[in-house]
Amino acid sequence: MVGPAPGGGSPLENANPLIYRRSGERPVTAREEDDELPDSIDDREIFDLIRSINDPEHPLTLEELNVVEQVRVKVNDAESTVVVEFTPTIPHCSMATLIGLSIKVKLIRSLPERFKVDVHITPGTHASEHAVNKQLADKERVAAALENSHLLEVVNQCLSARS
Amino acid sequence: MKDSLSLLARIPAHPDSRCWFLAWDPSGTLLASCGGDRSIRVWGKEGSGWVCKSVLGEGHQRTIRKVAWSPCGSYLASASFDATTCIWKKSQDEFECVTTLEGHENEVKSVSWAPSGSLLATCSRDKSVWVWEVDEEDEYECVSVLNAHTQDVKHVVWHPNQELLASASYDDTVKLYREEEDDWVCCATLEGHESTVWSLAFDQSGERLASCSDDKTVRIWHQYKPGNEEGMVCSSADPSWKCICTLSGFHTRTIYDVAWCRLTGALATACGDDAIRIFEEEPLSSPQQPTFALTAHMPRAHSQDVNCVAWNPKEPGLLASCSDDGELAFWKYQRPEVC
Amino acid sequence: MLQEEEVTHLVLFYENRLKDHHLVIPAVLQGLHALSLCEVLAPGLAVSVLKAIFQEVHVQSLPQLDRHTVYSIITNFMHTREEELKGLGADFTFGFIQVMDGEKDPRNLLVAFQIVCDLILKDYVLGPFVEELFEVTSCYFPIDFTPPPNDPHCIQREDLIVSLRAVLASTPQFAEFLLPLLIEKMDSEMQSAKLDSLQTLGACCTIYGQKELQEFLPSLWSSLRREVFQTASEKVEAEALAALHGLSACLSRSVLSSDTEDLLDSFLSSILQDCRHHLCEPDMKLVWPSAKLLQAAAGASFRAGHRITSSVVPLLLEQYNQHPQSSQRRTILEMLLGFLEVQQKWGHEDEEESALLCSRAPLCSVLFSALTDPSVQLQLVGIRALTVLGTLPGLLAPPDVQLVVDHLTRLVLHADDSQSCVAAMEAAGSLAPIYPGAFSGRMVQRLAEELQSEREEEGRRSMQSLRARCLQALAAVSTHPGIVHETIPVLLQCLRQVPKGNVPARACDVVAVCQSLQQVAVQCQRDTESCWYYHQTVVPCLLAVTVQAAMQENAHSPLGKLLLEEEVLSAMVPVVSAASAHLCPELAAQSVSQLVPLFLDGEVSFLPQDSFPCPFQPFQGGQHVAAQRRLVALLMAFVCSLPRNVLIPQQDRLLQELLALSCSCDCPFTATAAAKCFAGLVNKYPAGQQLDQLLETAVSRMEAGLAEGPLRSQALALLLWVTKGLVLRYHPLSSRLTDKLLGLLGDAELGPAVADGFSLLMADSPDVLHKGCHADVRIMFRQRFFTDSVPKLVQGFHAAGPGVKANYLKGLSHVLNHLPRPVLVTELPTLLSLLLEALSCPDHVVQLSTLSCLQPLLLEAPHVMSLHVDTLVTKFLGLTSSPAMAIRIAALQCVHALTSLPVPVVLPYKPRVIRALAKPLDDMKRLVRKEAVVARGEW
Repeated sequence: MVGPAPGGGSPLENANPLIYRRSGERPVTAREEDDELPDSIDDREIFDLIRSINDPEHPLTLEELNVVEQVRVKVNDAESTVVVEFTPTIPHCSMATLIGLSIKVKLIRSLPERFKVDVHITPGTHASEHAVNKQLADKERVAAALENSHLLEVVNQCLSARS
Repeated sequence: MKDSLSLLARIPAHPDSRCWFLAWDPSGTLLASCGGDRSIRVWGKEGSGWVCKSVLGEGHQRTIRKVAWSPCGSYLASASFDATTCIWKKSQDEFECVTTLEGHENEVKSVSWAPSGSLLATCSRDKSVWVWEVDEEDEYECVSVLNAHTQDVKHVVWHPNQELLASASYDDTVKLYREEEDDWVCCATLEGHESTVWSLAFDQSGERLASCSDDKTVRIWHQYKPGNEEGMVCSSADPSWKCICTLSGFHTRTIYDVAWCRLTGALATACGDDAIRIFEEEPLSSPQQPTFALTAHMPRAHSQDVNCVAWNPKEPGLLASCSDDGELAFWKYQRPEVC
Repeated sequence: MLQEEEVTHLVLFYENRLKDHHLVIPAVLQGLHALSLCEVLAPGLAVSVLKAIFQEVHVQSLPQLDRHTVYSIITNFMHTREEELKGLGADFTFGFIQVMDGEKDPRNLLVAFQIVCDLILKDYVLGPFVEELFEVTSCYFPIDFTPPPNDPHCIQREDLIVSLRAVLASTPQFAEFLLPLLIEKMDSEMQSAKLDSLQTLGACCTIYGQKELQEFLPSLWSSLRREVFQTASEKVEAEALAALHGLSACLSRSVLSSDTEDLLDSFLSSILQDCRHHLCEPDMKLVWPSAKLLQAAAGASFRAGHRITSSVVPLLLEQYNQHPQSSQRRTILEMLLGFLEVQQKWGHEDEEESALLCSRAPLCSVLFSALTDPSVQLQLVGIRALTVLGTLPGLLAPPDVQLVVDHLTRLVLHADDSQSCVAAMEAAGSLAPIYPGAFSGRMVQRLAEELQSEREEEGRRSMQSLRARCLQALAAVSTHPGIVHETIPVLLQCLRQVPKGNVPARACDVVAVCQSLQQVAVQCQRDTESCWYYHQTVVPCLLAVTVQAAMQENAHSPLGKLLLEEEVLSAMVPVVSAASAHLCPELAAQSVSQLVPLFLDGEVSFLPQDSFPCPFQPFQGGQHVAAQRRLVALLMAFVCSLPRNVLIPQQDRLLQELLALSCSCDCPFTATAAAKCFAGLVNKYPAGQQLDQLLETAVSRMEAGLAEGPLRSQALALLLWVTKGLVLRYHPLSSRLTDKLLGLLGDAELGPAVADGFSLLMADSPDVLHKGCHADVRIMFRQRFFTDSVPKLVQGFHAAGPGVKANYLKGLSHVLNHLPRPVLVTELPTLLSLLLEALSCPDHVVQLSTLSCLQPLLLEAPHVMSLHVDTLVTKFLGLTSSPAMAIRIAALQCVHALTSLPVPVVLPYKPRVIRALAKPLDDMKRLVRKEAVVARGEW
């Protein structure tokens, strides 16, 4: 469902993107230390899950490229829904599906199973917005893509901690 | 509406995986399930409970998306993401893979036997629908490759008593095919859904077809033959299909499956919002513009997306369902006294 | 022993045999090898042997071992007959080239590379064969060798890389061949080739000069630039920057003569040309790589720094003013900081020539504007940059210094964000020794005024946080003796005011004062004079206020009582300890001669306060001195921190009093302080009969106390502390006391406390019995204690009744948790089954400490742990639903660590673990979910 993987010395599509500063680690509050009080899953917690995903092309994270932002993350813990919008760095970015897939996989692996995870492109920021959104929403195609070992490796690379 | 659907049993059919699809054998005594764990399991009733009679493990390299019983009940076909379709022959409780059908370029999404048992249809992400002919020696031959869809084909199903084939696709349409002079042709395109059509079901007569979609609606289509009493215009010698009812506002996420009970006429849906819903036609509504009422709603039928619903062909009201949580559930449906 | 003549005969015989059939060659070489070690080899023979080998033997068609023999013969001769071999001239070099040409075996290559190095470094004649010698070695570059599994020779890729690099970078004569090769490999796709080339280039730069580099500078620069601009690997980037630094340093070294071109200048110009404009785009990706390149080049020499800084700093200042957004300004300021730091490295060479001199005014105004910017991030960088600027000589004019101090004072007192406040304090600490007058005159004075002022209008809460900041800042700025003389009285005044009730005080306020005092003490330790001033001023003052408070106890003055609270006294302990640990022996003796009589005889005359309402008699019996006795904690802080060579007057009397107090006092705080003081002194007490007698007395009192009565836990505390004091110094009695403790683990009443006591024995204690207070601590005491006690703990566990089994496990897990990892790993197999049992123990402390013990073992001893994978998976997963959050987190960390076991071991558990980890993903606590996400992601 996704085009060929990056690498092989092909030139970057967007060789000199804008970079954004990383937000720091979320400080641990006294409430979080308390054994008894529940902490609900909030936007920041979801954002923390996806902000360190590596961009497939740059040695930068999605947060540094501003592909994901905390304001574009919406979670409803009670109704078990998560909606994430991501913004490709350029409107013709061929990696958009791969980036969306990485976000989706990261959230599916990291969130309780009760959650319904929807990942879309920020409206108006990509030439093939509708097609990419439709692919990402099709769980059958996502499942088939993740059985492709090559693609899975690329996704895992995006999700791996940076050396 | 309360208590119209009650849980009979729940089984972790494909643990640590998702359960994609279910199929009752024609006698209604066996249920086949398949899933992401690359296995098929066949379930039968023992006493009051359901037990696994066989596990068909060695046929496929990847997810098994759908399974279908032959009309005689002696064969089971399985469609897999590994681009093949396997034909399993049953003898007592044993199943043996007798043929592997190859040809699709990538994931096979669905498989279906024609009522005669001599034809089989498969479809794939490669946008094609293939019709296979079976001879007495269990030899399979591809008789047609239909490239009518412009995208991934999600589902194929045969008419209950004619050699008419229907397919549903990612291109938002449903298409119908029939044989014409030794070849198969697309004879109708049903447009109306606004997103991927995931599944299809004919009613008992074959006059009506239900389709369900990512656009969160179910549509009911009616067949009008040339020269019909209602005066519906047909552009050619082929019957024409019109959408006579749209069930919208009931589902909150993608509808993955629809099943039409051949015994009771009840229509069940499997939805990505974890719910199972059952609809029945209002007795007094007009056949040309029927209205359907929601007669049962089980909000958390499973802990994750419901992928499939299947009515038992012999026992009225017995419904099976399966989900991404890997579980298989059996339900008893009782039509409520007052709708 | 062979005679010279015999040797000659043998050599000639062997040489002739080299002409014989090739089957005899190995044996002949063995013989020659033995002869090459003879000391009595006649002159000329070495040369003749080598000539014969070069002529008669086709070395590369021999087996590895025989080739190795040839190299050994050459090596031996090079060691002993250097002059003779050099007589051969370039023929020797040529002969060797032929010998090693085509060598494939890594063992032989290591020897051959060493020979080439020696050829070059010992000035053998290379003659016309420089290029051949280069070819025959450089053909292995970059080294691409992976040692076969189970290689018995243990030659690593890295060994070959290093020895080949030594050859290639050994002489400038290779430069014309090597540099093109390095450029080619840098341009390749293989990361290892890039890294090796960059490191080799760096090595070359230490011996090359202008001449060798000149021709290749443009291509070297373009390759290095590409690696930094485009690389995906931080390692490559770091090596490229290091190589650039090396190049710039190399060019800086060359002495300029009037007729040669200044290569450094033109090289730096091309760097500036390619990088400078990127600095103007603070939003773009290339801004940081450009800054890093410039800084790497600038850091190589004073001249390079001057050239680049004088070009870049004015540009950055201009850019700062052109970019209004604070995120852009922060990037620019961070780069500026980097260039200032470069300047710091060379700043002291010549004040007059500093490249920053002409940018001084705009630089200060930019930095001051950053300090007043609403963005905290910008403030932080501004503070760091000002700190660096302040350390550069001559860059801050006196009015600027005053402005800096005022800005820092403002941030300390009023910054909204605590990060800015902390950074301002640190900056004040760094700059105060350079500008002591400005800081004491402006900042200290201002802080003192704030502390004394009583402003009601701002509300209690904000006033308290302001007081806390003032106290911290006073401590932070006390980095110069002159300032210490002003801050100490201010801090002590705060303490003196407590009993007077002038300032509203809570225990935590007094604790804050003590923390500041402690920090000042630590900062004074380096300077003898400050140290003595501090001790002389602070210790008597603390004693005076607390003694006074202890006497007013009877008058029920709540304000004075505050000073005697456990929390407050515990905060004073490290102050007294830090003030005493670094005294010189004479001054310590002077002080101890005043303090001990104070406690033993009520000698109050040296205290700054002259009248007390009643006598001070902490060791006298009677309930009315309960408050006075609490001050034993301060006595402990003092006497236990003194250097070991300081004599303590009336020590034996003091010890007897402490022993008595520790066993008889019903207040746990006082009794424990006395026990610790006793143990601290015993630890330093010289070995001998007197000590043994003292210990006998102590043991019999403990035994009596432990036997029965209301003071059993006091006796246990004494036992624990004395045991610790003796275990640390390997005293023979320690094992008897340890056995006593082990026995008490089975005691229904004291058992749990004893188990916790094992943690006390093994951990570093913060106030007594540690290295900082000169205690006798042997480095291996933990291992020793482990070896002595663990078998008994295990035995005790098996013998114990069900009610007390947990005590043994808890004790064990405390011992293991403090043991150095390598020791633990070797002892693991014997203990693992017990640890696994401990995981099922319902006690949370045991569970937690067992998990934290197992987690690193999973990482370090995967093979031992693999044997128990089934149990581990089950128990860890079980504990992920423990009611205690800390245990859930620790269990998840262990589940995560399981992934470091060999893949075939864990693979069968994968579906089960992933499924089981779905539950903690939905844990109520965020911190647990975080660990679950990490663990599940790893599986």
